[in-house]
Amino acid sequence: MELEYGARSDTGCVRENNEDSYRASPDMQLFVLSDGMGGLECGEVASRMAVDTILEHCRRADSNPSLPLTGGRIGGVSEATNRLASAVRVANSAVYSAAQGSAQARAMGATVVAVRFVGERMSLAHVGDSRAYRLRGDDFEQLTRDHSFIAEQMRQGRMTEQQAGSSRLQNVLVRALGIDPFVEVDVSEELVLDTDTVLLCSDGVTRELSDAQITAVLRETEEVQEAADRVVDLAKQAGGGDNITAIVVRPAARPVGAFGRLGKWFKDSA
Amino acid sequence: MPKLVLKFENSVLKEVPVGASEVSIGRSPENGIMIDNPAVSHFHARVFNEDGRLMLEDFGSLNGTFVNGQRVKMVTLKAGDSVGIGKHTIVISESRDLDGFAIGSGKPVQAAPKLNETVMLDTKERREFLQKVAAVGESAQVAPARLKVPTLVVRNGRTDRREYMLNDKLTVIGKSALATVKLKGWFAPKAAAQINRRDDQSYYIGAADKVPSVNGNPITQPTQLSPGDVIEVAGIQLEFVYRD
Repeated sequence: MELEYGARSDTGCVRENNEDSYRASPDMQLFVLSDGMGGLECGEVASRMAVDTILEHCRRADSNPSLPLTGGRIGGVSEATNRLASAVRVANSAVYSAAQGSAQARAMGATVVAVRFVGERMSLAHVGDSRAYRLRGDDFEQLTRDHSFIAEQMRQGRMTEQQAGSSRLQNVLVRALGIDPFVEVDVSEELVLDTDTVLLCSDGVTRELSDAQITAVLRETEEVQEAADRVVDLAKQAGGGDNITAIVVRPAARPVGAFGRLGKWFKDSA
Repeated sequence: MPKLVLKFENSVLKEVPVGASEVSIGRSPENGIMIDNPAVSHFHARVFNEDGRLMLEDFGSLNGTFVNGQRVKMVTLKAGDSVGIGKHTIVISESRDLDGFAIGSGKPVQAAPKLNETVMLDTKERREFLQKVAAVGESAQVAPARLKVPTLVVRNGRTDRREYMLNDKLTVIGKSALATVKLKGWFAPKAAAQINRRDDQSYYIGAADKVPSVNGNPITQPTQLSPGDVIEVAGIQLEFVYRD
C-alpha cells in the first residue's frame, strides 16, 4: 500500500525549547513520535534518542530477520508488531542507560507512539500519552489509551470526564520510556482502508484542540502536509502551551479509472 | 536468578525470586504467591526450574493461565513473558534488576507539577498509590465468569468455516488476505468489518468497508461485544460466544 504523509513539530508559544521529536521513514512505512521530559536539554535528548533507536532497530531487523526480539513475544499479533514493541523496549533501555549515566539526566524520560504499515495492516506500539487517532468515515477514534494518571483513573471509573478535565494532574504519566529498566509496551493492530487517515500527535495538540476540531481539519484538507500544518497552527492559536507535533498519514490516492469506477459501483450496490 | 513480578493493572504488588524450590501460585495462603481473588483457584499454577529452564505449569485451574495472551498448560518461560491469572499479571524478569523498581525513588518529584510540563510519577509513590487503588478495585470485583475462548459462530452466510476462535488482537471479516473470517462470493467486500481485542480482554467491533449491525442496530462507533451478541455484516450472521 502506497502512503503519503505530512509532519510538523513546533515549540509552541510558551516553552523555550521543543522536546518533541518525530521521524518518518517512507521506505519502511514507519512513523514515530516522542515527547521528551526532564530539565535542561534532557527532554530533547530523550525524545530524539527514542525515535532514532526505534528506526534503527527496525532497519536492522529488516536487513537481518533473525535479529532477536528484545523482551518477550506477544501472542496474537504479527511479526511486525512484535518487532515494533521490541524496538520500543530497546529505546527504553537506551534512554534509561543515558538517564542513569548522568546525575543531571536522572529525571529524563519520553513518551512514544509508533506505527508501521505492512500491507493492509498497521502495527501500533505506544508508551505514555502521545496518541494515535484514525479518521474512518465519520468515526474519529483514538487508537491508543494514555498511560496517564488521569486516564487510568477514568478507566477504573474513579474519575468522570469532567473531573479529569479540571484535574491539576493532567500531565502525570504512569508509564514512560527511561524510568525503569523494563517497560510494558502496549501494542495493537488495525486494518487499513484506502479512505483512512491516521494522526499521530503529542499532548500539545490534544490539550488545545477538541476531537471535533481535529476531525474537521483532517476531513477538509486534501494535502497531508497541509493537514499537519493546520493542526499545529490551530493548536498554537488555541494557546500553544506545550510543544506541538503532528504526523498525518494516509494511503496515497490512486487515480480512479473506468474499471475502478465500475468496481466502486458494484461495491456500493452490493 | 529469575524473578516473578506480580502486578495488578500497573502496580507491582510483589516480587518473588525463583530459586531451587518452586513457587506456587493460587488463592490459598500456602502459596508462594497468593492472589486473593475468586477467579483464581486455591492451587492454580506453579513456576519452577528444570534443567536450567524456567517452567510454568497450570494445575488444571478453572479459569486458566495465560502466557502472553495464550492459554497454556505447561510452557517454558523467558524474561519479559507476561503470565495472566485472573486479572493479575506476573511478569518474568531477570533478578539482576532486583533493585530496578526502586531506582526511581531517589528522583525529585514535584508535588504540584507546573502547567503543561509532563512529569512521571515517582516509581515508589506510583506503586503505593496504585496499590491502594487496586485494593479498592479488587474488593469490588466479582469473579469473571468467562475466562474462556471468545468465538464467532457462523449462524448464516457463506464463510470458509463455521466457527472462528478470536485469538488475535485484530480479526478482519472479508475477502482480504488479512481476513480471519473469510467471505466467499464475487461481491463480498475485501474488508467488511474488524474486531479488536483490547488489553483488558474486551472485544470491540468496528466498521470497515461496511457498517456492521449488532443485534439489529447498525453501529455508529466501535462497539463492545457481549456474549450472545449477533453481528450482521456483508450478508453473514455471526454470534459472539465464549467457548470452553
